[in-house]
Amino acid sequence: MFGDLRRFDTRRPQGEDWFRQWLDGMLPEAEAAHIRSVPRGSFPMINVGRTDDAVRVYVFAPGLTAEALEVSVQDNVLTVSGRREAAVADEGARTDFRRERFQGEFSRSLALPEGLDVERAEARFRDGVCEVLLPKREELKPRRIEIQAS
Amino acid sequence: MNDVTRHEAPQVPADREPAEEALLPPVDIFEEGDALHLVADMPGVTRESLRVEVDNDVLSLEGEVRLEMPEGLSAIYAELRAQRYARRFTLSHEIDAEAIQARIDNGVVTLVLPRKRTHRRRRIEVTAA
Repeated sequence: MFGDLRRFDTRRPQGEDWFRQWLDGMLPEAEAAHIRSVPRGSFPMINVGRTDDAVRVYVFAPGLTAEALEVSVQDNVLTVSGRREAAVADEGARTDFRRERFQGEFSRSLALPEGLDVERAEARFRDGVCEVLLPKREELKPRRIEIQAS
Repeated sequence: MNDVTRHEAPQVPADREPAEEALLPPVDIFEEGDALHLVADMPGVTRESLRVEVDNDVLSLEGEVRLEMPEGLSAIYAELRAQRYARRFTLSHEIDAEAIQARIDNGVVTLVLPRKRTHRRRRIEVTAA
């Protein structure tokens, strides 16, 4: 049931980010970056997977509700935007030791593959992950071609 | 509220590969009232897949990402590249490990770590002479 995310492990893991950033600063860009790629560590993180009949987008937006997250698709560009409020401090003194979690407004866009039927898109939110299902258009689904014996 | 389990010796379930990659969840830590508060972003972690433990004054927070993914799904793009989160903190002696409370709500873990009664802040009244 729970597919494993290791199938997304196509490149170096997140733990080496600092090293990678440092290295990127020292060395000139080796390969051309995709024009719509984003730096790592952005909020919310996004994974995209594909099956034979649909594209699934996973938006990792912890602490947000379905109402606070806006998902839209235009010309194969998916945009997720919203706002994550900072926790409201109760009255009295509060001493902060670490503030690593993202807060404030965000808006991110990502290019999707061609040929998706946006009209039939569905989205649901669970455990801080918003899953968007975008079915492929009928004519683009893989088709089995019968081979006739001669 | 989940109870925090306390183990005398670190226990590693046999089914977990020790070399598996773990993500470092971003956390906010602040002190308010008579407790330390820790908030961690762990999207995809459920109440069942979250583990909070205190062992020899080391607080460990672990959670497995549980997503429903259909068979035959192949990745086209991925920023989150591991299946679990893990982070550990050393507690100072004034924290009452028995009284730690944990909660997970929509992928956000909130821990309340109360101070021991003897270490709470006391207001000292200054009396006029």
